[in-house]
Amino acid sequence: MLPRPYLQVDVFSKRPGCGNPLAVVLDAEDLTSKQMQTIAAWTNLVETTFVLPPTQGNADYRVRIFTPQREIPFAGHPSLGTAHALLVSKQINTKNGEIIQECGAGLIPIRIETSKKFRRRLFFRAPQVKNIEKLGTDSVAATAVFSQLELGELSPSLVEGGRKWWIAEVRNENALRALQPDHQAISLMSKATDSMGLCVFSRCLNQDYQLAVRAFAPAFGIKEDPASGAANATIAAYLLDSGALESIGNNYRVSQGREIGHDATIDLRASQQDDIWVGGECQTVINGTLNWID
Amino acid sequence: MNTTRRFLQCDVFADVAGAGNGLAVVLDGENLSTEQMQAFAKFTNMSETTFVLPPTKTQASYRVRIFTPVSELPFAGHPSVGTAHAVLEAGLVKTVNGKLVQECAAGLLPIKVEAEGKDRCISVRAPRGKIIPHDANIQTLLNAAIKNMAFGILSPTLVSNGPLWWCVELANEAAVRELKPLLPEIAALTQASNAVGLAVYAQTSSDDYQLAVRAFCPADSIPEDPVTGSANAAIAALMHDNKLLINIGKTYTASQGREVGRDGFVQVRVDDEGEVWIGGKTQTVIEGRLSWD
Repeated sequence: MLPRPYLQVDVFSKRPGCGNPLAVVLDAEDLTSKQMQTIAAWTNLVETTFVLPPTQGNADYRVRIFTPQREIPFAGHPSLGTAHALLVSKQINTKNGEIIQECGAGLIPIRIETSKKFRRRLFFRAPQVKNIEKLGTDSVAATAVFSQLELGELSPSLVEGGRKWWIAEVRNENALRALQPDHQAISLMSKATDSMGLCVFSRCLNQDYQLAVRAFAPAFGIKEDPASGAANATIAAYLLDSGALESIGNNYRVSQGREIGHDATIDLRASQQDDIWVGGECQTVINGTLNWID
Repeated sequence: MNTTRRFLQCDVFADVAGAGNGLAVVLDGENLSTEQMQAFAKFTNMSETTFVLPPTKTQASYRVRIFTPVSELPFAGHPSVGTAHAVLEAGLVKTVNGKLVQECAAGLLPIKVEAEGKDRCISVRAPRGKIIPHDANIQTLLNAAIKNMAFGILSPTLVSNGPLWWCVELANEAAVRELKPLLPEIAALTQASNAVGLAVYAQTSSDDYQLAVRAFCPADSIPEDPVTGSANAAIAALMHDNKLLINIGKTYTASQGREVGRDGFVQVRVDDEGEVWIGGKTQTVIEGRLSWD
């Protein structure tokens, strides 16, 4: 096996180290599933992706996504980081600013935005996020969590958007950033309601971002996520549904991860006429080769 | 500033890629602040990330700073072996009489380089191990942590060689391989005794390795470490002290990591002065350029 291109990318990041890291192995078609899993365990990053030739005519590439423990059909930040790695390596070209990714969840479109103000930003279309269902807070486990929060204008809801998340608005940014999550109570609520966990947000209209977000999924071993692609799409759907985007704006920016030493920037596109798109900048941190001789 | 730096990620104590303990090495570590180094070590999420710098002492071949994702370490075994591999691969240094001198926060440490190419084996001298006595309170926690173990000859002992390791000899290789560690009890013991972890070991009848080792560090959120230089050095020092190396010899191979999907080999040697050397082969897995400024 020859050395193959390898990149380590920081996703949702304006500077290296702010966002969510990803390892990308290009030219991976001769690797077995077992080798991919072993490599993903060895890199020890939240996700490692392997790029393969597409099997469907209109796809630009195929990707397989692995955590250190298992293969997953789709996730937001690995999709953006993989598309970025392919663009940087000049292995794909964009057609009309769009790329089609083939993955375990089917074909996922990725959109490219360029502007004078920002570096290239990539957006993925969030799957299934429009059919949201709001549930009440009549759960005892949920009440135990929300009675501890300084809640804002919108009422907390359990929102189904592919995965289920509890979403709650917190009164202001200071209260959000100072929040000490009760992991045990959140874990109990998450198990009682068959959901991922809790996302809290606050509006921050005087900053260069319009929303600050924190996401807790302790029942799944994630005390706090530095940058959540899919969860932010679910929040956007919830805000769109409640009419809150009329004041926040259909294109808004999220700050996430500062409380755990990150500083991710996530851009949202959410309007009634279109799907929900989640995006941001990607930084190439390591550009080199992988030489896996096992 | 947009500079790129030479970067290498290698697998230490490994005959093949993926068998050992990963290490990230930044070969041009100059002009990075301590904060930038710590942030990059967090980003790689390797157990350790090292930064190579020009030596400040004339005897030294190079200087290295060693970071875990959360803090800087004065010395550690697998980062020293892997960094020596990286500087040799990059052609930054040459051996003199098969030796290098590594400058790190713990001082100047000799490194031995034997053989070339794929068979190259790099060893580092571990700080001298000493036995730390423990009191009755600790004994109670120890008893709880090891109550499911089938013991060997030596009684469980706390050894310091920089970090503190509980070293527990088990009856045979199967007792090591099949052990289901009591992680909460081990965490309580190691926290109370300021130890980094608890290692179990047994002599084997295999031709390929003379010792089977496992190391548990649940208090540091590492339930089981794949391949551990300092734990192997602590075990060697303890066995040497108790004249137990007569059977297996003062140069032996330890097998570690199979229970967590790895298959590492540590070459251990106790020299005529009673100093412990730990070493092994290293595989270069990733080579490239780093942008972190």
